[in-house]
Amino acid sequence: MSCDRDVGCITCGDTAVELSVQHIDAATGLARCVDEEGRVETVETALVGALTPGDTVLVHAGTALQVTGAGA
Amino acid sequence: MRFVDEFRDAELGRAVAAEILAAVEPGRHYKVMEVCGGHTHSIYKYGVDDLLPSNVELVHGPGCPVCVIPMGRVDDAIAVAHEDGVIFACFGDMMRVPGSAGTLLDAKAEGADVRMVYSPLDALRIARQNPDRQVVFFAIGFETTAPSTALTLKRAKAEGLRNFSCFCNHVTIVPPLRALLESPDLRLDGFIGPGHVCTVVGARPFEFIPSDYGKPVVISGFEPLDLLQSVHMILRQLGMGRSEVELQYSRVVPYEGNLRALEVMAEVFELRPHFEWRGLGFISQSALRLTPDYADFDAEVRYEVPGVRVADPKACQCGEVLKGVIKPWECKVFGTACTPEHAIGTCMVSPEGACAAYYNYGRFARDKEVV
Repeated sequence: MSCDRDVGCITCGDTAVELSVQHIDAATGLARCVDEEGRVETVETALVGALTPGDTVLVHAGTALQVTGAGA
Repeated sequence: MRFVDEFRDAELGRAVAAEILAAVEPGRHYKVMEVCGGHTHSIYKYGVDDLLPSNVELVHGPGCPVCVIPMGRVDDAIAVAHEDGVIFACFGDMMRVPGSAGTLLDAKAEGADVRMVYSPLDALRIARQNPDRQVVFFAIGFETTAPSTALTLKRAKAEGLRNFSCFCNHVTIVPPLRALLESPDLRLDGFIGPGHVCTVVGARPFEFIPSDYGKPVVISGFEPLDLLQSVHMILRQLGMGRSEVELQYSRVVPYEGNLRALEVMAEVFELRPHFEWRGLGFISQSALRLTPDYADFDAEVRYEVPGVRVADPKACQCGEVLKGVIKPWECKVFGTACTPEHAIGTCMVSPEGACAAYYNYGRFARDKEVV
């Protein structure tokens, strides 16, 4: 994810994106997530409770706001 | 892609458009405000308005986070960015918003250390990597973004970071909507509610619109079919004489919102008595500041900010655009002196701004507009 000047800043635009959870670091509460194009992002998980790999989350400004799908 | 492909289905779109056409009363003119800039962007990106009957007019609301920041606050940000030893971290679009004497990008060109970040966590990372520098994060946005700032400040406090602070400009969506509803300039029939804000606050804060003003609200997703369906739901309520809050975006938005997010926001933020909105003036209790417990992380406590109110350029009519009183093309400088490359007003800076959406998707065809 980025704040690309050419296509506009998705954070400024109040846009949230759906990402897939790959790994959760229980010590920090951060998750490594990936979008459909394989871009990796570190995501704060404090607002959505326990996650498992494969879950999908709605992410805005680096924070997961809702769980939108459960993993296997 | 799940939740995307099925909401961009052209055949379904035409079917919903036909239902919309059947739902409108001939001779009646409908004005529906989409509150969120993300909706404005989607409407013009996908040509949703082209599928609506000519007597259904979409009015663009004040829900673009960048567009509502007044020039004086940009000047304040630039003043902090020029402080010795400061790294000023900022979201991308905000760097291009003009203050009275330039933008944060101009300040960077003049030597200020202004860095673009995608999230507050990125700014915190910069602070950890630069313990001998002060890192100031320019926090903007509605309730969608505020929880991320709040969680980052909690992390900074827990880590005992002394070189991180926040210039807080978070705003809340309900007070400007109430101000618009009280405005004699504007008659609206219903609202397309902001889907992503509602992932945090839920739908309940919007119940005052039907109960106090008798207008329907439909909380909407951002794909073209989401928006078409939301317009249809509003028209259906109007046709049946109903006014209530309905959730079109129920696949994402819980009616009660995210209670953890609301808790963390309540811990870190408190309401400002008043805050200036670009084009709307001062609105009571419409913005957030840090609570006294987080004063050590408050850039407005740590630094002297000018705090001077700056009037918008006379040529710019962002205020009227933000209130939905005029269409972007009715502004005298739209597409001439004011373009995304050389924006005079904030509505031309962010792609979610109404002016940028009209400009980027070639909406100069005035004969399509119903005024």
